[in-house]
Amino acid sequence: MLNTNTTLPRALTYQGIPIWRHAQVIQWTAQIASGFLVVFLVAWFFFNIANAIEDREIPYGFSFLERAYQTPIGQHFLPYETSDTFLYAFGVAAVNTIVVSIVGVILATALGIFVGVARLSGNWLVAKLALGYIEFFRNVPLLIQLYFWFYIVLALPPVREGYVIADLVYVNNAGISIPFPFSDGLAAALVWLAAALAGVVGGKALHQRLTEREIDTGQASYPLVWGVTVAVVVGALAWLLISFVGGGAPLVVSEPAPQGTFGRISGGFTMSGGLLALLIGLVMYTSSFIAEIVRAGIQSVNRGQIEAARALGLSPMGTLRQVTFPQALRVIIPPLISQFLNLTKNSSLAGAIGFADLTNVAKTMTQTAPAISIFILIMAAYLAMSLTYSLIGNLYNRRLRIASR
Amino acid sequence: MKRTIKYIAGAALVAVLVGAMACGQEEPPAPVAPAQTEPTAMAAPTEAMAMEATAEPTAMMQESTSMSNQGDSRLDAVRARDEVICASRNDVPGYGFLDASGNNVGFDIDLCRALAAAVLGDPSKIQIRLISAAERGPTIQSGEVDMLVRTVTWTTSRDAQWGNYAQTMFYDGQGFMVNQSLGISSALELQGASVCVTQGTTTELNLADFSAQNGLNIEALTFEDTAAVVAAYESGQCDAFTNDRSQLAALGTSLANRADHVILPETISEEPLGPVVPHGDDQWFDIVKSVMAVLIYGEAYGVNSGSIPSAATGDTKVDRLLGFEGSWGQESLGLSDTAAQDVIRAVGNYGEIYDRNLGPSGINLPREGGRNALWADASCQDCPKGGQIYAAPLR
Repeated sequence: MLNTNTTLPRALTYQGIPIWRHAQVIQWTAQIASGFLVVFLVAWFFFNIANAIEDREIPYGFSFLERAYQTPIGQHFLPYETSDTFLYAFGVAAVNTIVVSIVGVILATALGIFVGVARLSGNWLVAKLALGYIEFFRNVPLLIQLYFWFYIVLALPPVREGYVIADLVYVNNAGISIPFPFSDGLAAALVWLAAALAGVVGGKALHQRLTEREIDTGQASYPLVWGVTVAVVVGALAWLLISFVGGGAPLVVSEPAPQGTFGRISGGFTMSGGLLALLIGLVMYTSSFIAEIVRAGIQSVNRGQIEAARALGLSPMGTLRQVTFPQALRVIIPPLISQFLNLTKNSSLAGAIGFADLTNVAKTMTQTAPAISIFILIMAAYLAMSLTYSLIGNLYNRRLRIASR
Repeated sequence: MKRTIKYIAGAALVAVLVGAMACGQEEPPAPVAPAQTEPTAMAAPTEAMAMEATAEPTAMMQESTSMSNQGDSRLDAVRARDEVICASRNDVPGYGFLDASGNNVGFDIDLCRALAAAVLGDPSKIQIRLISAAERGPTIQSGEVDMLVRTVTWTTSRDAQWGNYAQTMFYDGQGFMVNQSLGISSALELQGASVCVTQGTTTELNLADFSAQNGLNIEALTFEDTAAVVAAYESGQCDAFTNDRSQLAALGTSLANRADHVILPETISEEPLGPVVPHGDDQWFDIVKSVMAVLIYGEAYGVNSGSIPSAATGDTKVDRLLGFEGSWGQESLGLSDTAAQDVIRAVGNYGEIYDRNLGPSGINLPREGGRNALWADASCQDCPKGGQIYAAPLR
């Protein structure tokens, strides 16, 4: 009796802080409340769509993906026939967008770094020009810029009156056509490319090994000469072997030439006018943002680092390359990744200027296929692309981080 | 500091949650409220509709029960809003364009005005939503507009997927425009040509068929806006420009050197154009069909905006049209007896609309003897005028 009397009050009377100020209680309440909110919103959206579909007899479903698309696609990088299925056509359009985003990202980064460094130049004119570039391209809406470049491209002469350089390069408002490697047998081309790649990798390994030995022993051995020689010899041998065995060169150069009554250029590689305007627009626009990111990254590096590098006798360029930039990268990379994502998503404006990107083609598809399903596919495709780019970017970022001890 | 933030965040979450719940609960009854006050104003139509609604077994999802009762009839919604919302365009002379003072004008716009006159008694109570060609399907499917009149071709799959096509108001066909300097005289000579086309149109699909059938290997250059299509064609980025023939004629007027361009003789498709209404409201569908019929019979009976009689004329057909005698279904449709008077007074009959926009005062497309003439005059049922413009008889 006595024992229970003494223990009971201790268990019953709560002596901590009031329950409404208890951190754990508050946290859990917030978690549960937000959980309910999310479930409620998702359910509400879902039922709204379901009701609309039922009330207005809106078609849905994905069975159309197996049907033939039957509509031409402008410029495309994968082979495409109008008899191909919706699914394949969607893939062709997605590859168009992926190519634009990859090429765009590379060019925008190069241009952005250049302008960003120029912005910090000691040369007054260079710095101000870079500033003007950044402020102009950053502050004009991208769609307007795309129309601008589109009309610039249209101002080029039409295809039958275009510029021809050495009978090899054709420049006109339908696009720029250049000679391009082309292969009859895909297998032979792939084997050769693999062999050439192996040669390059081998040459690089040799170069590295010889360089290390040179540093260790001081014995001169021309690492660069040997590395390049190995790569070239392997590539050439593979070329000869494949030509001999397969009865033809793995790759031939296809030259563009006007065809038919309309003088349209075929052969080689043609960068269509729409693609040209799109790339110029996207690269200029994105590079202005990247330039600011690069500038901020460089300025984030402690001045003492630069002074120390200069005191050691490094040239201004050497300081930038060896000391400032590697440290700036840590600051630059995360916002740079989001610029890459922006570029990819911004490429969806291509329909305005006649390039067959994913959005343009998919919007055409809504004519003969359910719009809801198409838009779900578009969202999924961009999401997949963006997440992949983020993943790659984040992996690279992790490598750059200062190792914590 | 951190704790305060947590408090605020928690409070905000709860507030949003409660707010969302409240909205979710309040939303369904809201549309019912006006419907309950309505019967006093217009007893007959709503009663008829209420009977329809109760007779129909509502086996829909719980959330959608409120959608299926008469409170959500589109006619009521339009009257409550006091505005008819039409999806259309403003970039093609004759069909949908802006006049010098910035007003939406055109054949398609007038059809929208006629509907507003019939339903609200005032043709100016319209709202024009400008959409691109590719947006037409999703726009009408979503039901956010009351009518889609944007040079929309009637096809079976669109009818199945988009909405209900009310009536063909213009018969068109697809053609090609090329620069005369190319020296070609037939669309079959477009071997390997690059052709500019607007995205999301039947034109785009027909072009693919035409190219495949004739082995022409045509390259299509697709743009969202018709303006970009014209710019690309004019600069020579593409060799030809394809669209409905009437639109080629209309857009041709904006080219710098119209004489340098020819429309090739081939017509490669059927393009019946007319208004579309969202699926799921039969009464609204019937109203739009009847308004189109009023326009057509207005012309057939010789009733135009300047000559609307103020009392019965003795001509049974004219009197029925104008609501002096008998009925063409106004009560069941929920329209006033004199709706046709409002329509014709506001926008004129079919012939007046045609002349104003597509005829002599507009882009000057010939009508007499063509498909867009009336099938017959009222005065002489047996001597057809040869056209195909015809609607369900008004009775």
